[in-house]
Amino acid sequence: MITADVAVVGAGPAGLAAAAEAARHGLSVTLLDDNPLPGGQYYRQGPATRVPDGNRGHPRDARARELLSVVDHPRVTFLAGAVVWAAPEARTLAFSHAGRGHRLRAEVIVIAAGASDRAVPFPGWTLPGVLTAGGAQNLLKSQGVLPGRRALVAGTGPLLLVVADSLRRAGATVVEVVEAAPIRAWQALPRLALAPGLLRRGLAYRLGLQRARVPFRPGHTVIEARGRDEVAEAVVAPIDGDGRVDRARARTLAVDTVVVGFGLVPSTELTRLLGCRHEWQRARGGWIPWRSAELETSVPGVLVAGDGAGIGGVETAVLEGRLAGLVAAERLGRGTGAEVGAARGPLRRRLRRLARFREGIEAMHRPPPTFLSLLTPETTVCRCEEITAEQLDAAVARGLPIDAVKAHTRATMGRCQGRNCLGTLADLVARARGCGPADLAWPRPRPPARPVRLGDLLGEDLPPASGPELALP
Amino acid sequence: MSPGVSPRRGGRAAGVARGEAFELRVDGGRVPAHAGETVAAALLAAGRRALRWTAGRGEPRGVYCAMGVCGECIMVVDGEPGVRTCVTLAAPGMTVQTQHGWTAPEADDATARAGGAA
Amino acid sequence: MPETLPRHAEVAVVGAGIMGLATGIFLARAGREVVVLDRGEPWREASGVNAGSLGVQNKRLPLVPFTLEALKLWRGARELFGGDVGYVPSGGLRVATTPEDVIRLAASAEEQRAAGSATEWLEGPALAARAPWIGPAVRAATFSAEDSFAIPLSAGPVLVEALRQAGGRIVPDVAVRAVTGTARGAQIESPVGTLACRSAVIAAGAWSGELARTAGAALPVGLEVNMLTITEPADLVMDRLVSHVRGILTLKQYPNGTCMIGGGWQGQGTLADLRKDVDHAMLIHNLRVAAEVVPGLARLAIVRSWAGYEGSTPDALPLFGRLPGHEHVYVTASCRGGFTQGLLFGRLMAELVTTGQTSMPVAAFDPARFAA
Repeated sequence: MITADVAVVGAGPAGLAAAAEAARHGLSVTLLDDNPLPGGQYYRQGPATRVPDGNRGHPRDARARELLSVVDHPRVTFLAGAVVWAAPEARTLAFSHAGRGHRLRAEVIVIAAGASDRAVPFPGWTLPGVLTAGGAQNLLKSQGVLPGRRALVAGTGPLLLVVADSLRRAGATVVEVVEAAPIRAWQALPRLALAPGLLRRGLAYRLGLQRARVPFRPGHTVIEARGRDEVAEAVVAPIDGDGRVDRARARTLAVDTVVVGFGLVPSTELTRLLGCRHEWQRARGGWIPWRSAELETSVPGVLVAGDGAGIGGVETAVLEGRLAGLVAAERLGRGTGAEVGAARGPLRRRLRRLARFREGIEAMHRPPPTFLSLLTPETTVCRCEEITAEQLDAAVARGLPIDAVKAHTRATMGRCQGRNCLGTLADLVARARGCGPADLAWPRPRPPARPVRLGDLLGEDLPPASGPELALP
Repeated sequence: MSPGVSPRRGGRAAGVARGEAFELRVDGGRVPAHAGETVAAALLAAGRRALRWTAGRGEPRGVYCAMGVCGECIMVVDGEPGVRTCVTLAAPGMTVQTQHGWTAPEADDATARAGGAA
Repeated sequence: MPETLPRHAEVAVVGAGIMGLATGIFLARAGREVVVLDRGEPWREASGVNAGSLGVQNKRLPLVPFTLEALKLWRGARELFGGDVGYVPSGGLRVATTPEDVIRLAASAEEQRAAGSATEWLEGPALAARAPWIGPAVRAATFSAEDSFAIPLSAGPVLVEALRQAGGRIVPDVAVRAVTGTARGAQIESPVGTLACRSAVIAAGAWSGELARTAGAALPVGLEVNMLTITEPADLVMDRLVSHVRGILTLKQYPNGTCMIGGGWQGQGTLADLRKDVDHAMLIHNLRVAAEVVPGLARLAIVRSWAGYEGSTPDALPLFGRLPGHEHVYVTASCRGGFTQGLLFGRLMAELVTTGQTSMPVAAFDPARFAA
């Protein structure tokens, strides 16, 4: 059993900031991440991040370097390649690392597990050449590799502009950017002005696209990707605020890549295994863990920082990480209440301003809540198990709950553990039952939080077995 | 045409200082790679995007999430099926093969590792 | 169209798992008007979430003839029930990993042979040749061609459809509160209404004790919380069902490549809280035994784990027959081995209800054996 004052799961900006703040206050920190290098998604390290390109002089660079250096702090133990897969007891995590199973007990656990791309199925989305915006960003910004040469960027949210910009800078042709929401910028300006730096950056991306003559079309989305063994063309069409598609006005684009960014979904596997209470907030990515003003969940000692608690972007993530570190310091009696309070005040104020900026973005982008209208009967919904909308519909149409639909179809039972289909499945069931996804009974959380190699779990120290009754022959 | 840049799809971005260059053996051919690159990135840079064929309908799949959680980019690497190429670093001498369903194309390799005849 | 609880039926079966559905199918085919009720959706409890093992080697001796008969029904399920239940005639290896295990295995094999289930003894080079994927920790094994498995998720819809085709009805989401005998039959009470019937059959698995109590019969049905783990799909790792002589392991690899690991290791939960939680330490112990017996499993990723509720009886034998003190209320609960034997016990219960007799001797399973 490893013990530490603070356990931080996830070495992205929130986790690094939490670890840095906790260590600064004299706490011992064990920082876990399943990647070989720290950085998470925003600061993912790879060949292309050794020499910054295109973002030269961007303030994030210096901050990235500072945050990444926390793994060298004497009070921080960074375990790369660690997969946290279970929460066996209060304040305890089970993880595999270097081929062995371990337990980690800490007074304060900070979950900074980030988010992943929301999966929105449409015909042809499983073709090679269709990839997520987050995935494309990783490839472009950290690996320095082009996923294709001629790209359609489709989806909703500010990440579309960012990834279109990254594609362009890397030498790809961005044929079109289609944003599913209509843009109502004039409603949002007062709130957007609260974060001038972010606003400037957003406008810069838009201007860059305009200068490169890349069409940006709000109120449009991708409805099909076509090709034999990979993408050869894509079809776009207008979509309204309720998600209705006008197929009569569909257009075909000659592209070899479709980058899809329909927003990010917080990774809540661990907070659910830990028994934290969650709330449904569609605009923040779906289920998010409830938190107090101190970032503490309904489970004492478990804090959540960053996109894992609702999508807020990297600035929010870093501030929340720092706040989590401060809260941990206070809990463990390091740092006086006054000192912690003095630092917490400004942090909280900045978080509130960022939250209002985020609300401004959300007022600008009000995409349809679901994209079920994109589904045709043959569209694959569960990628791992190759289950189509038609196959799901047989069970869904009977008004069955999610668990029963799962059992009837095998949906969500594949290797991705439902990350790419449970959301769609819930939307389908909710629609059939005439309620919202939050009104449904969702599957109970079970380990493993991530697929984990069986052989890597065997070495954990355990109490001796009290096994099942001996079968009497 | 610069080395390692596919004439049709994929490619490497300019202005990146890459590590040591070597080659991966991919399905009997060769694909350039550099230290620090993932197997998937090296394949994408070479324009190679269909990485596996599914067990059920035999459909092509490739990189989707690029962060190791979707399982679509799995290939047979050094004889081991089910390896997530987007989070696996390329290494000199590495062999990469298209995965069909859950097995390697040479079924003999798989059953030999499993210990023998069915 | 949602099913509502009828006020009358000839036979009411409480529980839409394998026991209840099989009972319903055979009763409906015998011309009885049958309604099968369940507190939730059909096939959601033990029948829907068990490992799917269909083994004879791990059965107590009195159950061997019943298991052999039941396996015939499984083998013929496609013709009998009109669909693919995912039956795989894999054969099975029962393994011993300690010297004491070997002695127990030998004794058990002899007893099973006498009861009609012959097995082949394998050790050393013969075992390695037959099952090269078996690990060196296995000192000896017995092979039975009868051991096999099915896919629970496939079997459920087939049986539900077979019941409907036979004219039976299923009413889900009926939380039966009480089963009582009446002058002319029995009565099922629930929050959504009361159903009067000529005969009532309790086929409620782990809930059978609770329901029997409402009918005034104290049956000692305990609760087991069995954990299972399943791996990612993989190329061939093992081509036989595997069980352990001490009952601490079951293994199988499905046609889709996933490997199911079980063995009755206990999770946590009660009938009241319905938690069905995985116990972390017990899970790892289960995985350790699995990797010891089939080392090739160690390189596979586990993808899901879960736990299901199963009933148990003090003598590990089924409950089958009329409830003590009742003429029109019956119980059939196999309580371990239920998945293997359920199709047969359903047929036998249909015989008992319609003719008053059964085609196989079931006296050993009389619930009265527990009456004070």
